[in-house]
Amino acid sequence: MRMKKLTLTLVAAAVAALFAGCQATAAKQESATAPAKMSAAKMAMKAAGPAPLAPLGKAPIPPDNKLTPEKVELGKLLFFDPRVGGDASTGCSTCHEPEQGWAWAEDFSRGYPGTVHWRNSQSIINSAYFPRQFWAGSASSNEKQAKSAAKGGVAGNGEDDIMEARLALIPEYKKRFKAVFGTEWPIIDDVWHAISAFERTMNTTGEYEVPLDKYLKGDKSALNEEQTRGMALFNGKAGCINCHNGELTTDLDFHNIGVPPNKRWEEDGLAQITFRFEQYAKGQTEKGYRAAKSDWGFYYRSKNKWDKGKFRTAPLRYIAYTAPYMHNGVFYTLEEVVDFYNRGGIDEEGRTTLFPENKSPLIKPLGLTDQEKEDLVAFLEAFSGPEIMMEKPEQPPYAPLFNMAELKAAQEAK
Amino acid sequence: MGVRVTTGRTLLAAVMGFGVALSAQAAEYPAIGKLPQLKINNAKAELGKRLFFDKRLSGDAAVSCATCHVPDKGYASKEALSPGYPGNGHFRNASSLINVAHKKVWNWDGRIGTNLNDMTREMLTEDYTMNMDMRIMQERIKQDPVYVQMFKDAGYGEPSNGSVRKAIPEYMKTLTSANSPFDKGKMSASAKNGMKLFKGKAGCIQCHNGPLLTDQKAHNTGVPENFDVFLDPMNHQAFIAFTMFQGIPNYMNLKRDPGYYNITLLDEDMGKFVTPSLRELKYSAPYMHNGMIKTLADVVNFYNQGGGKDSKKSDLLKPLKLSGKEKKDLVAFLEALSGNKLTSDKHVWKQPYPAEYEAIANWTEVPN
Repeated sequence: MRMKKLTLTLVAAAVAALFAGCQATAAKQESATAPAKMSAAKMAMKAAGPAPLAPLGKAPIPPDNKLTPEKVELGKLLFFDPRVGGDASTGCSTCHEPEQGWAWAEDFSRGYPGTVHWRNSQSIINSAYFPRQFWAGSASSNEKQAKSAAKGGVAGNGEDDIMEARLALIPEYKKRFKAVFGTEWPIIDDVWHAISAFERTMNTTGEYEVPLDKYLKGDKSALNEEQTRGMALFNGKAGCINCHNGELTTDLDFHNIGVPPNKRWEEDGLAQITFRFEQYAKGQTEKGYRAAKSDWGFYYRSKNKWDKGKFRTAPLRYIAYTAPYMHNGVFYTLEEVVDFYNRGGIDEEGRTTLFPENKSPLIKPLGLTDQEKEDLVAFLEAFSGPEIMMEKPEQPPYAPLFNMAELKAAQEAK
Repeated sequence: MGVRVTTGRTLLAAVMGFGVALSAQAAEYPAIGKLPQLKINNAKAELGKRLFFDKRLSGDAAVSCATCHVPDKGYASKEALSPGYPGNGHFRNASSLINVAHKKVWNWDGRIGTNLNDMTREMLTEDYTMNMDMRIMQERIKQDPVYVQMFKDAGYGEPSNGSVRKAIPEYMKTLTSANSPFDKGKMSASAKNGMKLFKGKAGCIQCHNGPLLTDQKAHNTGVPENFDVFLDPMNHQAFIAFTMFQGIPNYMNLKRDPGYYNITLLDEDMGKFVTPSLRELKYSAPYMHNGMIKTLADVVNFYNQGGGKDSKKSDLLKPLKLSGKEKKDLVAFLEALSGNKLTSDKHVWKQPYPAEYEAIANWTEVPN
């Protein structure tokens, strides 16, 4: 119903643009393309209403990166190995720390030494299910996410050649890569494959199944009364289901929900550096680089102004362990998140997105009572089961590739 | 044609082998002498100096240019092999930067022959040296009000990657030999005799000529490999990363530094390295591309025996049959090519850098 209204608004905007004449060329383009961008399937889906929450099935495994126990084991070693990065101090697990929800428990991810990141680190738990990774969906697979994070200047800052060279000098890796991938030496692209294979086993299934999924599968005792009431709100009055829906608890789409810019940018010099770097690195115009005072999100990919401040709907499973929340980590508790939505996408100081014109019409004051807010938070807690912990593997050591006799023989042969 | 060239070379070598006085040939080589004066823009050089010693110009803000190019060591590396970027080692000895602005070709393998602007970029961005994403570097610099003012004063306007690559070379122009006994014409009798040997019997002038005392060409002198490059995985990984990136065939099995082969991929160029300048040697030990020779006396001994062992060794190298006194005189001459240490405030940025980046006030109000 609400989606229909949105479509109508867009059509109205298009009509208005036609009347506005040539001065509104950009607006016309925008309005003409925006509805067209929505695929027929998506429109049909939206017209039919959001897909109901459904239990998490098996993680999809891409045909070009099949899982084998050996590959998963190798991926686990690599995931925890800081030598897969620039100065051998920052690996995947550095910002995706098991004890911090396989994410990082600060607003911005910690970043490479000498930097800080500018977005919140997302958990790797259940990442296998998402066709696009990162807050603006810039990576189309786990493999591409791993590569991008390991190489990004404020993340791993690693270069292919030095990372590949390191692995070649670690006999344990040489052996394992040969067994798994059949190559004489470790190849950097296979590193991303192995890490992704490991990540695809890190799911809230089996022993880590969340109460909600148990409930959805028929175990009505998995949710308490408070949570059941919360679920009704989630699906009804609070409207969460509009975006957080289906098996994945996300529509995988991009929305501007009104999250205000992180104030840290006003106070922290290191964060200001990264902020400008990101504008530069993401291909901003100079005008945009000068003017930007918040993360423009999906805009960096689409370059359409109506996408400013849009981010991918975050999945909700495992959130009990992944605070803080939102793309820039501005909310530290689920209560704050619920309050934010209840105010209609406005924080307790009255702050909201710098692009209110793009704010989703789905976001509006909800009029929840205190009891209802508590019920909703209780329900959100049902999206998390047991904490997924794991002993970190020991780093396999380096060893020289040649011995003294070989080197002397080569010297003699010169 | 190729045959004739080869014959010519063999003949020349044969002539030299008979010990025909080389002093007669000395005139054929560019004269050794004073370096030309360079025009320096002080504001730009001062900015370059601050940048040169600033660790924030490396990826993890742990190393500066001066980490490998140590002022007290003639702006060369202390150790046989440079330390490199954290997380790896290195596979060569950082050359002295004194007089670097007078060169026409840079790096031991001569892989940069354009200008110091490119050389600066190379060192800042290579993963085994400073691993700097220059876009982050630019924004770090813009966050430091001292830099913002200095870039303005230097006429560069807003700090940018491009002006960093200009300011550091401008500073490097100030790293020029000063007051060496050779330049002042105040050499000892021993050094003067050494100079005669240098131009004559010892034949050093064949490659070490011109004001920089280098022909800036690549030669194979048979310097033995530094096995630490291969026995220490930290160094070896830098070597592998370098040879992989350069596209050198069979890099995983290489047990020697290919040197100039990197440029031509011709077998005959394997193990050639660009002749280093001989100025400021007093400070820049150890010597050679891999720091394998520790003292100047050892260097002279190395050449006295006709260089090292290599089937592709330069024909210019023959046993020299120098006496003990001649060797000492030669060392005295080499030492006379060193001037004042460039370690005062004039050349070294000694003021502290801010411990953290100050936030830009009114951030939401001002344009980025």
